[in-house]
Amino acid sequence: MKFLGSMRHRSLMVSAGVVAMLAAGSGTASAAANCIKGDREAPYTIGWANIYSVPTWMKQTEGTIAAEVERLKKEGLVDELMITDAQGNAQTQIQHIQSMIDADVDAVIVIAGSSNALDRVISDACDKGIAVVNFDSLVNTDKVTAKINTDSSEWGASAAQWMVDQLGGEGKVIVMNGPAGISVSDDRRKGAQPVLDANPGIEILTETNTEYNVAPAQEAMTSLLFANPEIDGVLSLGGALSAGSILAFDRQGREQVPTTGENARQFLELWNEKGLKGWATMQPNWLGALSVYTAVQALEGKDVPAFVKVPLPVISDDTIDSYLARAEQFPADGYIYSDYDRALFDELLAQ
Amino acid sequence: MTVTRVPANLYTAVQRRRNRGLTGLYLVVAAFLVVYAILFPGLFTIGGFSKFTQNWFPLALVTMAQALMMLNGGISLAIGPLVSLGAVIAAVTMGGPLGVLGGLLAVSAAGLFIGAATGGIVAYLRLPAIIVTLAGSFIITGIALLLLPRPGGYIPDWFSDLLAGHTPVAFGLLVLFLIGWKVYLATPLGIGIYAAGNNPVGAYRSGVPVERVKVFAFALSGLLAALAGLFVAAQTGSGDPVIGTPFTLNSIAGAVLGGVAFLGGRGTMRGVICGSLLLSVMINVMFFLGFPPVAQYVAQGLIIVGAVAVPQLTSQWRAKP
Repeated sequence: MKFLGSMRHRSLMVSAGVVAMLAAGSGTASAAANCIKGDREAPYTIGWANIYSVPTWMKQTEGTIAAEVERLKKEGLVDELMITDAQGNAQTQIQHIQSMIDADVDAVIVIAGSSNALDRVISDACDKGIAVVNFDSLVNTDKVTAKINTDSSEWGASAAQWMVDQLGGEGKVIVMNGPAGISVSDDRRKGAQPVLDANPGIEILTETNTEYNVAPAQEAMTSLLFANPEIDGVLSLGGALSAGSILAFDRQGREQVPTTGENARQFLELWNEKGLKGWATMQPNWLGALSVYTAVQALEGKDVPAFVKVPLPVISDDTIDSYLARAEQFPADGYIYSDYDRALFDELLAQ
Repeated sequence: MTVTRVPANLYTAVQRRRNRGLTGLYLVVAAFLVVYAILFPGLFTIGGFSKFTQNWFPLALVTMAQALMMLNGGISLAIGPLVSLGAVIAAVTMGGPLGVLGGLLAVSAAGLFIGAATGGIVAYLRLPAIIVTLAGSFIITGIALLLLPRPGGYIPDWFSDLLAGHTPVAFGLLVLFLIGWKVYLATPLGIGIYAAGNNPVGAYRSGVPVERVKVFAFALSGLLAALAGLFVAAQTGSGDPVIGTPFTLNSIAGAVLGGVAFLGGRGTMRGVICGSLLLSVMINVMFFLGFPPVAQYVAQGLIIVGAVAVPQLTSQWRAKP
């Protein structure tokens, strides 16, 4: 089998899956999801191959994965969750996924440390009939059960559009970006460009590139405030950046301006406290929980889409209260993500 | 007394002395391998053995590369960037008209050249290796990013399958590299590494071409690191301009674990191989034991400190009257 061409291999796998389903007499599903051979039975073992567990966003994401696994355990669908942390090393992540294959887990959930490096080991897992669900930072290969993500380009476009609407198409704006050369930062910025091009009344004063942390963002904005006496809006494309910006305005005694951002708790609280006009979206942490749920659905023989595009939840001046009401449940430097439930997951998987 | 017998036993006597400090490491590595084999019996299948050794192979190569530098009395901070550059050159050239052979030659040439250039600067301008390689690491990283700004490139499938498929080709290559090292040590330039690293002035007075020894050792070190990059490219099927970064620290950890002294002239390749093997097998054992990630950080540190400290302590005990 291993020495057959990959195309032929895949068609063999699909037909094996179909045969298995016919034998099981499940007439509802039209076809098995990618990678699924139909030879695995509940309760399943899930492997969560994390690239780096230290950032708060990752810890919260792991929290949603663990919560979903607990739920699936009660339903008798999952019996074990194996967690690894590659400490930022893509080579170690390959080794971890290889170990998961060796341990014959039933599903691998993965945030990729490199878009290319994992391709071969993930294909190997797929060949073994392991459900592979990849979210947030995606791999190149299509030999996965499902990829799950939001659209970074849409993120940038929506933020820019809100700013244009706030300023009535006229005004001076500072753009705050994440680190240069990071794909998510590039993609968000690129997504904003067409909107800015279409509204020539919006003048970009300058742009910043900093880590997605409060301190460097505040420092960058502070020096920009000295240089620019007139600023009408801050188009920030990452959560903690906005908090840094608001703090800089506050320390300088400058009046707050409309500010975009991400769902960082610190930003949402400052937005509310300072009473400014704000807008935020998010990379929901429950993408992790959704990935586990998707893997189990696929293992259960349901057809799942090869790509699940998750719409960006939006926080506005009207809805921020509902988020702040739940703030205590989240870490002080964490992200207040939108509510989720099984109904939402089923709806997303029915795309 | 037994002067006549000394020459016959000199080799074994020397080897025994060189092994003494490593007994603890050998035991720890053996224990980990046994535990791993019990947890994962698939290790004894060709496929399982192949995959395990493939994940270890690039670390073994970079640790050897680092050991070559440390035997000279220097440390290289450019090992990781060289791995990235090797991977990038492989991924960029193998799709071109020269094919796999051309890529192999380009990677080797780049590794040898960068190594020799670094060695030349260190040896003839008398600059510390750590400074030269720190500067070199920025330059090399920059070149890798210029050649391939985002992960990509092309490695032929057959080449990936050959090196990192379901056969233990990588392990065979490692054995060949070790034989090559033994052969190199039998040459004047090879044996000169220990002499020049341990006591450069003495070595110079005894007629060892200290500068040339350094340049050759640095060039070989560069070659090994670049070839590790070539292997990583084959293993992943593509090039990534930053994939090598963690190798710098891991190569130092592996070499120190393997008993290579920071000050030069002391250390063995067998120790180095065991050191890198411990770093690699540790990851798999902790996975199969189900250690949570946070505990893995702690355990990793304890194992490394333990493997270095135990032989030190036992030798101190032995030295006491």
